[in-house]
This record gives sequence, C-alpha cells and structure tokens, in this order.
Amino acid sequence: MNYITSKHLNRRTLLRGLGAAIALPMLDAMRPAFAAPAKIASQARRVAVVYVPNGIVMKDWKPTETGTDFAYTRILKPLEPFRQDITVLSGLANNIADVAKGGGHAKAAGSFLSGAEPKYTAGPDVRAGVTFDQIAAQRFASQTRVASLQLGCEDARMVGNCDTGSSCAYTNSLSWKNAETPLAVEVNPRSVFERLFGTVDPSLPADVRARRAFYRKSILDQTRENTQSLMTSLGADDRRKMDEYLTGIREVEMRIALAEKDPLTPPSEKPSGIPFDYAEYVKLMFDLQVIAFQSDLTRVSTMMLGREGSVRTYPEIGVPDPHHPLTHHRGHPDFIEKVTKINCFHVELFAKFVEKLKATPDGDGSLLDHSAILYGCALSDGNAHSNFDLPLLVAGHAGGLRGGQHLASEAKTPVANLFVQLLNGVGVEVEKFSDSTGLLNLRS
Amino acid sequence: MFRDLTRLIVGAVSCLPFALAESPEVFSFVQNNCAGCHNGKVKSGDIDLVSSKSPKTFDEDRGTWEKVVEKLKTGQMPPPGMPRPPVVATASVTKWLESEFARQDRAVVPDAGRVRARRLNKTEYNNTIRDLLGIDIQPADSFPADTAAYGFDNISDALNLTPALLENYFDAAERSVRTAMFGPALLKPSAVHYSAPVRVNNTRGQNSLPKDLFHYDFTGLSTIHSAHFIHRFPVDAEYSFRIVLNGHRPNQSEPSHPAFFIDGKMVKEFEVDATDLEGQIVEVRTRVTAGEHLLSATYLKPYHGLPPAYNGPEPSKRPPEALISLRGKLSEKDIETMRKYGTKIKTDGLEKRVDNRFESLDVGGPFHQVLAASPVSLKKVYVCGHAAGKHVDSCVRVILKDFAGRAFRRPATTAEVEQFAKFVTLARKQGDSLEEGIATALQAVLVSPNFLYRIEKDQPAAVGSTASPVSGYELASRLSYFLWSSMPDAELLRVAGQGTLRQPNVLEAQVKRMLRDPKSVALVENFAGQWLQFKNIDVVRPDLERFPMFEESLRQAMRRETELFIDNLVRNDGSVLELLDAKYTYLNERLARFYGIPDVIGPEFRRVDMTNSERGGGVLAHASILTVSSYSTRTSPVLRGKWILENLLNAPPPPPPPGVPPLEEAKAGSGTLRQQMEEHRKNPACASCHSRMDPLGFGLENFNAIGAWRTVDGKSPVDASGTLPDGRTFKTPVALKSLLKEDRAAFLDGLTEKLMIYALGRGVERHDRPVLASITAKLPASDYKFSQLVLGIVNSLPFQNRRATMKVTEKVTQARASK
Repeated sequence: MNYITSKHLNRRTLLRGLGAAIALPMLDAMRPAFAAPAKIASQARRVAVVYVPNGIVMKDWKPTETGTDFAYTRILKPLEPFRQDITVLSGLANNIADVAKGGGHAKAAGSFLSGAEPKYTAGPDVRAGVTFDQIAAQRFASQTRVASLQLGCEDARMVGNCDTGSSCAYTNSLSWKNAETPLAVEVNPRSVFERLFGTVDPSLPADVRARRAFYRKSILDQTRENTQSLMTSLGADDRRKMDEYLTGIREVEMRIALAEKDPLTPPSEKPSGIPFDYAEYVKLMFDLQVIAFQSDLTRVSTMMLGREGSVRTYPEIGVPDPHHPLTHHRGHPDFIEKVTKINCFHVELFAKFVEKLKATPDGDGSLLDHSAILYGCALSDGNAHSNFDLPLLVAGHAGGLRGGQHLASEAKTPVANLFVQLLNGVGVEVEKFSDSTGLLNLRS
Repeated sequence: MFRDLTRLIVGAVSCLPFALAESPEVFSFVQNNCAGCHNGKVKSGDIDLVSSKSPKTFDEDRGTWEKVVEKLKTGQMPPPGMPRPPVVATASVTKWLESEFARQDRAVVPDAGRVRARRLNKTEYNNTIRDLLGIDIQPADSFPADTAAYGFDNISDALNLTPALLENYFDAAERSVRTAMFGPALLKPSAVHYSAPVRVNNTRGQNSLPKDLFHYDFTGLSTIHSAHFIHRFPVDAEYSFRIVLNGHRPNQSEPSHPAFFIDGKMVKEFEVDATDLEGQIVEVRTRVTAGEHLLSATYLKPYHGLPPAYNGPEPSKRPPEALISLRGKLSEKDIETMRKYGTKIKTDGLEKRVDNRFESLDVGGPFHQVLAASPVSLKKVYVCGHAAGKHVDSCVRVILKDFAGRAFRRPATTAEVEQFAKFVTLARKQGDSLEEGIATALQAVLVSPNFLYRIEKDQPAAVGSTASPVSGYELASRLSYFLWSSMPDAELLRVAGQGTLRQPNVLEAQVKRMLRDPKSVALVENFAGQWLQFKNIDVVRPDLERFPMFEESLRQAMRRETELFIDNLVRNDGSVLELLDAKYTYLNERLARFYGIPDVIGPEFRRVDMTNSERGGGVLAHASILTVSSYSTRTSPVLRGKWILENLLNAPPPPPPPGVPPLEEAKAGSGTLRQQMEEHRKNPACASCHSRMDPLGFGLENFNAIGAWRTVDGKSPVDASGTLPDGRTFKTPVALKSLLKEDRAAFLDGLTEKLMIYALGRGVERHDRPVLASITAKLPASDYKFSQLVLGIVNSLPFQNRRATMKVTEKVTQARASK
C-alpha cells in the first residue's frame, strides 16, 4: 500500500478498502480487515473517558503498595495482563464537589471533568463548566468528521430532578461543551453508527445488493422516460411540478453514479438498536469507539457505563438488586459483596476494550499506544458520597504516558492536575485547567 | 342553476361601479367621522377616504372599504378620545356597505381555480400504503417534514419534492413491497428505554391521600401513580417489557400490585412485597401486533391494604414490622433482619410515604418474529387467484393491472401495464424469481409520479364555462383524500367507474358512508388537529414546578377528550356550533378529577353532561386547547385572545407594528397582568388589536395554564370579566361563549373557509367567496350539521371542477381527433 499523507484521503482510502469485504455480524470482523493500514504513519492521539457510577468499593480497588511493584487487587485483576500500559492513581480529589450544594451524585458527576461547581437546580438553568475532553474536542474539530462522541449505556434524559433537587443533566451526562451546555449521551448504537457513517445499510449480500441497485437504476431510467412523456399532456403549472420530480430523478441517478465510482461503505453491519444483553451492549459501544478512533473519525470520546445514581440490576452476575441502593450498604457485608461484583464486572468489560485497542495497529504502534483512556468514578466510597481519593486509572501511552505503576498523590490533590497531563499527552498544550495546581506527571 | 347564476351576474354587473356619493347617508357619515384624519393630506394609517384620489368604488379598492367596515364594527374607529357617532348611524352605514360587498361578491364570476398536481404528504403516503398493501409500517415517518401553508400540510403549492425525498420514496417503495410480498425483514432484538416523567418538585410524593379513597379507579390507569408510553412496534412478534419501579409504600402495608397494560387491557398483574420500591423490577413477555400501542404501568388499588392509620379501604392486617436501628453502623441483629426482608426495609427508618411510582420501562424485542407475509397483504397483491408459489407468467399482467390501477387511483392503461411488465422480464433474465420480478415492478409503480402525485388531466371547458368537471376517478380521489387522507376504497372506485359518482344522491350517500367510516378519523387528526392546533398538546412542556400534576396520562387524556368530541361531531353528524359551546364532553377519571367533575370512575372515556359545570362545554373548555394557547409557566390572555380570533372568529390580528415592545416582555410598571395590559392599551398603536384580543383572553382566566379551573391567581381573585370593542360585556367564560355564539356568522365563515382550503389543497381566492358564502348560507337550514358543511364543499364548483386551460381551438381539434 502506498503512503498517503492527506488525512482525508487516508481515511477514505482505508474505508473504501474495507467496503464490500466485511458484512460479518457485529464488529469483531474489523480487526483483520483493519490490519492493512497499519503501515500508515499516524500522528493522531486520542483521549477517552470511561465512567462507572455510584463509587467503587475501595478496599478491593486500591492497591496497598505504591510504585511499580504492587499487587493487582480483586477489582483491578482483569486488567493485570495490561499492567505495563496502565497507571493506577490514588489520592486525587474532586474538591469542588465536596463543598458544592446539591445531591451527592449530581454534584460529583456534574463537576467531575470540569472542576466547576454545578449550580444547584432541577430546572433548565443548569450551569457547570467546560470539561477537559471538550477542550481537546475543540482543538481537533477541524481535523475529524465528528468532533467528539458522548456515549452512554443508560438513560439520556437531561431534564427534571434526578438527585435531591439536582438536575438530571448533572447525573446523566459527563461532557459539557461550555458552562451552560451539557452534552447528552447517545445510548443507541445505531445512532452512533449513523453519526459516523451515514445511513447506508450494508447488511445484504453483495450480489443481492448489486442486483437491487441495478433494478433501481432501470426503474429510475424508465420513470424518467415515462414522466417526460406524461408531461406533454399536462398544463404548464403541472409541468413545473413534474420538472421538480425529474430534477430529483436526475440527481438520484447522479448520486448513484458517484457512489459507484467512489464507494464509502462502513466496515461492519449496522447495529439494529440497543442489544438486550448488557455486556453485549457495552462491548458494542466500545467497538464503535475503536472504529471511530481507528478510522480517525473522531479523537475524543466519553462514555458512561451507567448514569450516576444508576439503579441498574445485574442478574447475570448474581446481583438482582438495584445498584444505587446497594451502595448505601452501611457496612452490610452482603451488600458490599454485591457492589464489588458490579465493580469487577465493569472492569472486565473495560479490559476487553483495552485489549482491542492494544490489538489494533495504528501508525507505528497500536491504538492503545496513541490513546489516553481514563477509567473511573467521581465518587470513591458510594456509601458516604466521598469525593476524595477517587478510584481512577489511565490506560495507554499517548504522549509518552509510562504505565506500569501505582501513583499515589498527596491527599486532596486536584484531579484537574491529571487532566492537564492528559491534554498535554494528546498534544493540547495547557498549563492550567480549572483548579489545577500543576501537572500530574505520568511520563516518568 | 348555472344559467340562473349567469343571469344574476349580468344583472349585477350593470349596477357597478357604484359611487360612494350614491348613498348620501354614507357620504356624510364619512365626511363627519373619518375625514378629519383619513384625508388626502394627513392620510392617517395611509388611508384616504375623501380626496379626489380616494377610492370611490369597491372595484378601485375593496380592501380599504372592508377595513373601514371592520374598524367600525369592532368599535376601533373613531379612536378613543374622538367623538363617537350614534350606534344606530354606524350600524346603518356598515350594513349598507356590507350589502354592497355582498352584491359585488355575487357579481364575481365564480371560478373553479386550479390545483397543481398534489404530492402525497407524509400522512397520506402512510395511509395510502396501508390501504394499498395491507401493511401498517408507516414508511413516511422517517421522511423530512412537509411544509405547511394556510395552516395545513396538504397544500399543493407548498408540497415540493427534493432529491433527498425522492431517495426516501425509493427506499420506502422497496421496504413496503418486500414487507407485503415476502414478509418483514428479520429484526435483531433490541431495547427501547422510556423514562417515566420526573417531577421537578414533589418527587418525594405524598403522605396524605386523596379524600374519596373508597371510590377511585382501581386499575390505577388514571391515577398519578401510573406511567404511559406510546410505542411503535416494528413487526408482529413477542416483546418483553421490563418495568422498573420507584417510590415507597409504608411499612406494614400489604404488597403492592404493579400491573402492565397494553391499549388499556391488562396483560399481567404482579405482586411486590417491599417498602422501598426503588429499582424493583417486574417483567412480562407477550405477543404484540405491529403498529402503535399505548403501554401503561400502574399500581392496582394503590390505596388499598395500607396500614390502618391511613384510613384507606381494606386496611392491612399485618402486624407492625421489626425495625432496624435508625442511624450508625448496623448491628448483627439488623443484618439478620435485613437478610430476612432484603431491601424491603429502608434503613433510614419507618417508611410512611405512599409515593409508589415508576422509574422506567424497557421494551425488548422482537422475539419469535412473524416472518411470513400477512395473508391480507398477499391477497392485495396476488389477485389472480393462485396459491402462493404457484404463480404463472399469465398472472403478471393481471396483478400489475390491478395494482397499478389502485395505486394510480384510476384504471392503468395497457401501455402502462406493459411498461411495468418489462421489470418482471428483466428480473427473470437476471436469474431472479417471478415473485422478485413482480416485486420490482410494484416498486416501479410506487415511485411513479402517477402514484406520488394526484395528477388531474386537463379537459376542455364545458360550453359557456371556464371550467371543466374533473373525471369520476379524480373526484373519487378528491373525496377520499379530503375525508380519509388516503386512497379511494374499492366501493368508491367502483362507483367512479360506473360514472354515477356525480349523481347528487349517489354522491351524498358516498360522503355520508365515508364520514361514518372509522377512516374519517383523518379529519379529526389532520383537519381539526391542525386547525385548532390541539396536536401541539403532544409537544407542550408545562412547567412541572408550577404544574406537578401534568403528567403523561393527563396529556393523553386531554388530547383524547378533544379527539373524541370532534370524532363524535364527524361520525354522528353533530352541529358544528357545538365546537363553540356544547352541553357535553368526553372524560375519564383522570381528566374528570382534574376538572373537578365528580362520579367519573375508571380509565375509559365516556360522554359526560357539562350543563351544571362552571367550565361549560365546547373546545374553549377543553384543557388541550387551553394548554396549547398558554405559556409553560402561566396563562396569556393575549395568546388565548389571538387563538380565538384566528381560529374561531376568522379575524387573525396583524403582527404588532414595528418598534412596539411585546407587552409581556415590557414588564413596565407593576400591578396585575390586567392592569399592565390596560396600560399597554393606552398606546393607540397597540389598542386597535389588543382591544379585541385581550378581553377574549381574559374571559378564559378562570382556566390556568394547563386548563384547570381556578378562582384565584396567585393571591388575587380571578377576574374573568371583559368588554368587547362593540360594547358587549361578560363576566364568566360561559357568558363569553354565549357572545361568541352570537358571532356565529364569523365562526361559520372561518370554518367553511378552512375546510375548503383543506379540501382543495389551495388557498381561497376572491372568486371563491360567493361559493363559500352560499355554503355557509345553507347551514342554518340543516341545523349546522357537519355532513351538510362537507356536502356543501363537495358539491361546490371548485371541488367538482378545474379551470380549463385548453383553448376552444384546441378543444375543437381534439374533438375532431377523437372522431
């Protein structure tokens, strides 16, 4: 394959190469197919946030030892194979949430990525701050088809009271374009897919597709002829209507001709909607992010595995109880165990995302090499709604992130220090963000 | 009849033009009362009534004289502060002018007008596909929205076609034909999530219960505890419904009984024995047919089985429960108790709240989808009588002729059938089956302009006329798209084919049959829904902080009331005046409680007598109308007044003059809204319109912004009195409606005009006026029956005819050619 430097051509070529070849179910088929463009040097860096709700059971999350030689805890275990790609963080705090007014869940999630105080309201007058991912999104907007993706696996309502008088905008979304504009999560994989690739349906066998396209062309052809002859029997005013119709016919014919010359077909089957199974749902949403990153359709994404305060139940892992009430366990061992199971399950699903990023070639390395993925929650102990010592980790090496360590910061170090590092890691040079007091160095 | 009309016209023409001076009474009236400002020099309002250049005749400027009449009749002129002529003198002058208008209108040569080829709009496309192929998949739902004009979305001139829409037509044709012939495509199960509406305030629900606990809707469908969602099911299949509960039920209560309903029929009842309902889940799986259905989750008998202290019906017989310690770390004993009861016990202490509600509903599916084509659809396509899979080549033309004929709403020509048959040959050459070939041909039919447009062929004008009657088939289409928003049915096509549709008794019988048919609901939804704007009830968002009782079941009930009311008018042929004021309406328990009407128990709607209610009847008492004409936070007398002028009195006010701040944003000064408005009306620029709008709106102030009855607004008592510009006064909404009924002529003119626009798909012109006037004039004699209004339109010149464009020479040539 030739080296092509233009980013636009680059992406188009890549997708055209995949086009017809891949009509396999779901998105697994993508890996071998995407092997080809590995040689193309890519300068793109990606940043993503993967959010889990309701805090995490800290005794089973936080490693006891710090530095490089530390034991993976029960919840982190599924990520151990990627030890060298991951930095586990502790000590960071979302200080503003601790003093802000409002529901414990709402103020935590509503301020997490911005460090700005969410206005205590359940009305439409929500206000917080621009989130760090959106700073990156604005920087890359002109270089990709989609500036950023906001994904969610639960709910998407943005109005009304979701937490003791705090708006649902705070608990149900993560990214804020500016202080007044929370970005709703997209929960339907089909809509995400259409946002990335348009509305083509590539699921039919190639020969059937080809025949139907052929018939359509003949229908267009004949309809045009018939309409032209119909027009001769019409008055001038009706002829104008038919002119409009004929223009449409000609335009559709042109579009078909153009598409035949330069087909841009998405590299998978279009998802039909939200999968019924939660694990499958999450996997599909992760896969869409991989595709979007790999094809350089976007470089920024945030995803909520559940809305903050989620009451999802997980009967598939033996937790038929709703998540949020369980986290207010007040020390009840059965409840704590169930919360831990949910925490483990989320990390297992995330580990598959990391695995896929690591296995997907990109430029001179893998997608994981060129990404910075923040995983975690805006609350540590869900029972107490604690905003300190947040359970966070960063996977990937974008901008030289080192990995392979547990980095403990001093208590109450602003989490914004981490965001400064992540922004610089993807090439957005900032010295300060929100209440940051410096840069949390993950490179050494 | 036409000949009589012609004679009349000829007679009238000789009287024109009239000179204003012909009536010395009018002449001196104008000189004395108008000329001070409206002269050639001052030209106040750019109107000059007396100089040599002023219009002396109606022909010169009818519009100016109409304005004069309107200003005089509504008392807007002479302006406040100027001496007023005696009421009798004004009445006499306006009467004379109006009779001159009428005389002139009679002299206008009626003209059938021309409607350009009308593209099917989204509703018509969906309905036509449904009736043509026997499938209800609503393919047009994903099309771009149609442009509306004159208040309706079926106006020919506004219905343009973009290349993107044409592409949609190709996709929809493929999907529709394949679904009908080969069954729906296999869909992968997926989930759709609905969140129950969240209250801004009041999420903590109620501790106190309604007073009449022993007499309420036991199904819970019309209680505030219920949640309702309209869901469109893509295919016939099994679906799963996962309902997440929320809220609380007091300790010591009997279990609660959530239930799931589809279209008001109970699918399953559950039992949940818990105090804290947050996140509790109940699930059911059932078969559902494709199409839209109303899904409801309720609590059965929510006020039964509560602890005795609540004084509810059939109180709980359970003993008080063991409680765990209220604060601090749990003891071993607490943990034991919790193991026993699970999350049923809230650790915060004794639960007293009765705010059981719903969090969300997930619809999953389709499972075990019916993949075969429906027998109904197959029968619609395969008309040659062979069993499926046994079709022979000779069937092709039989099938195509029938299908194209129905799709084009007139017999398909042999040439057309041959054209479509080519696609069958083409497909077979490609190795596809006969059925695939037929499917391709049917798709070609569905993208033909003969299907997508209603094209009417030009005919030579009848002798002595400028118009030619539309053909029998074209008339059938005009009827069916007018009354059903869909294609003609077999019966209508049969009558059209026999050539008898135009016979008055046949036509009347067909119209009455069509109005009785359930498909006439299209008139309710598309005509009335757009005319009265009550369709907007689906999208309004009243402020939940102020109106916490506004939730989905109330919204549905509001819409249903107006739909049933108008549907009754259409199908049972009621008087159109009932729209202004009626003695009855349609209510269920939810809406009746909201209205404060006692003894309406249960979720089903029924006719309720309103004679003893302060609300009264007619659409101005419907919460749907009162809500769509309000702001989300409060009522607006201006909006409501404007709504009445536009929709009921056929007198839309002009937009405010430039540079005048809208009253309610001005916020100048303080005082009540009424005082502010009175201040506003002191500005003569505002007064001319607001003196008409505001009193009408104030007359409805007893209804709050979501249509509930009120006697106080904030802290001040409601003052619903008003004075119309002509001096008539009223004190209550009911009295205002009586006055509106006195103005029925304006109402009937407006309704007739709107229905004519909707029926013809074009705006009305000056030459339509005599036609409209004659339709309205006949209504009193037939008790204002809806069918008579429809028949008046159906029998009118513009509905039955089309202005001919062919010249006589062409006509002669054509006549010769046909011989």
